[in-house]
Amino acid sequence: MSTRTITLGPSQLALEEPMYFKVQVAGDVVVGLDVIAGQVHRGMEHLVMKRNLYQNITLLERLCSLCSNSHPSTFCSAVEEVAGICIPPRAEYLRAVADEIKRISSHLFNCAVVAHIIGQGSLFQRAMEVREIMQDTKEFIYGNRMDLAANCIGGVRNDLAPESAGYLRDQMERMKAPLDELLCSFETDPAVLGRTEGVGVLTRRHAIDFAVVGPVARACGIDYDVRRKSPYGAYDRLRVSVAVETGGDVRARALVRLREAREAVSLVGQCLAEMPGGPVWADTLPEIPAGEAIAKSEAPRGELIYYLNTDGSDLPARLKWRVPSYMNWDALKVMLQGEKVANIPLIVNSIDPCISCTDR
Amino acid sequence: MSNWQTKVASALSRGIGSETPVQWRLDRKGVQTGWCRLPEPMDILPAAQALAELQGRLSMVTAYLTAAAKLRGVREIAYHFDLDGTTLTLTCELPLQGAQVPSITPIFRNADWNEREFMEIYDIQVTGHPDPRRLFLDASIEPAAFERLIPYSTFSNGANSKALWDKVMAGSPGETAPGVASTASPGSAEPGEVTTCGLVPSAPGAAPQENPLKETP
Repeated sequence: MSTRTITLGPSQLALEEPMYFKVQVAGDVVVGLDVIAGQVHRGMEHLVMKRNLYQNITLLERLCSLCSNSHPSTFCSAVEEVAGICIPPRAEYLRAVADEIKRISSHLFNCAVVAHIIGQGSLFQRAMEVREIMQDTKEFIYGNRMDLAANCIGGVRNDLAPESAGYLRDQMERMKAPLDELLCSFETDPAVLGRTEGVGVLTRRHAIDFAVVGPVARACGIDYDVRRKSPYGAYDRLRVSVAVETGGDVRARALVRLREAREAVSLVGQCLAEMPGGPVWADTLPEIPAGEAIAKSEAPRGELIYYLNTDGSDLPARLKWRVPSYMNWDALKVMLQGEKVANIPLIVNSIDPCISCTDR
Repeated sequence: MSNWQTKVASALSRGIGSETPVQWRLDRKGVQTGWCRLPEPMDILPAAQALAELQGRLSMVTAYLTAAAKLRGVREIAYHFDLDGTTLTLTCELPLQGAQVPSITPIFRNADWNEREFMEIYDIQVTGHPDPRRLFLDASIEPAAFERLIPYSTFSNGANSKALWDKVMAGSPGETAPGVASTASPGSAEPGEVTTCGLVPSAPGAAPQENPLKETP
């Protein structure tokens, strides 16, 4: 059968950010893919070298909205590593709280989008309603629904007052039953299964070849989570249960995310129960010396890695980061191979792509 | 010495053919990072092969041109590998002019985007890359973008409403942008003349002009 190439943009792919695909099709089956990136390239890796370390906390938080806390917190960890700054234990727990709150919201947003694409309007609505509990939580505790502005070099900017801790505990209680109910829908609802099971399959072998990370990797049976493999902050004391599925399809990816959201509720609970008292930032900060460091974290979409090179000034000599979506895009070539054109938006969204993070 | 320290030391010396020291650091959480400077840029190929045999994963590649390296007359590339939670960084030094490294995409598939990205922002050639197209930057943008001095006003042409408006209107025959005194019609700019968008049109068939703002390494 002869092939032709169609170009798909963000509106056809149900994406809110611009990424273009040149898809080779034979009839209505995908036989090839080329990803055209760069429409939101803002030269951010250049910009960070023109701003001081403090200004970069603010800039990096604006890299992306859904994983906005992971960037400044990982960047601060890199600076702290270079300078040998030990952040107070309470600040470590508060960073974990902020990260897990963002993880729940991010995962629910993706599950809602998947529900929307497969035509499950009420499931979409329910997922967004449940997510709204988290949005309210962020607004109450941090004053913002997306960017939390929680991090500073040496700790966190704000403590959690007892009334806020009580509110957070109640909100987490409110999340448990709805998250279980959503997980049950994605796991057992025949209408959902019919559209997600066996669709967009990535085998474990391919997942290793493409070096995918995060829920996309864990949905292929790869038991890798930075919180366990390279513990940072409070995660060396928290009991993190890693969600792993073996299907490698759209369903497996959604189930991993929902299990992780449920686990994040438990982690916030652990933090609230075990968080020690004390300061939330280091009292005095040293000069940042010349040096280099690596910092990693488990962002909602997977392993986020930062490399910082300093020269003793307050500007980074080089700051580079690689987001989890970076490798996940390329793996779409395998996930889409042999799939119907109509399934492209669903499969693309099942990797929970972040374009502003990818392009930078 | 941890398990990874022994394995990496032996794999690198087997791959490169000589003893290559690795400096290991342990953070407060017990997470290990290894730092190694390769003797030659070409060593990245056997070193990557050796790490692939240890089931390593390429995490990221960072090319950079710091002032300190520039003073030494070099630029650097750091390849960061994950070894089940341990991060190993292999750094190569390259000359400022005519820098070349072999592609490791045939060994680590995900090196593809990393190599394409640093090729467009730094003046480094990757030999043997299977698909050396631009990744993020448009083909019309001069190469090695991070090594050039580009005024912010040029960068932000699209963000400045007047400049963008002028540009849009310049493409609409018979219309002029409000507040623009010039009555020049679209395309009437002479070769070498600076247009409202700050662009310098070339004569048809003329070679692209050297960017006067290009920094010398």
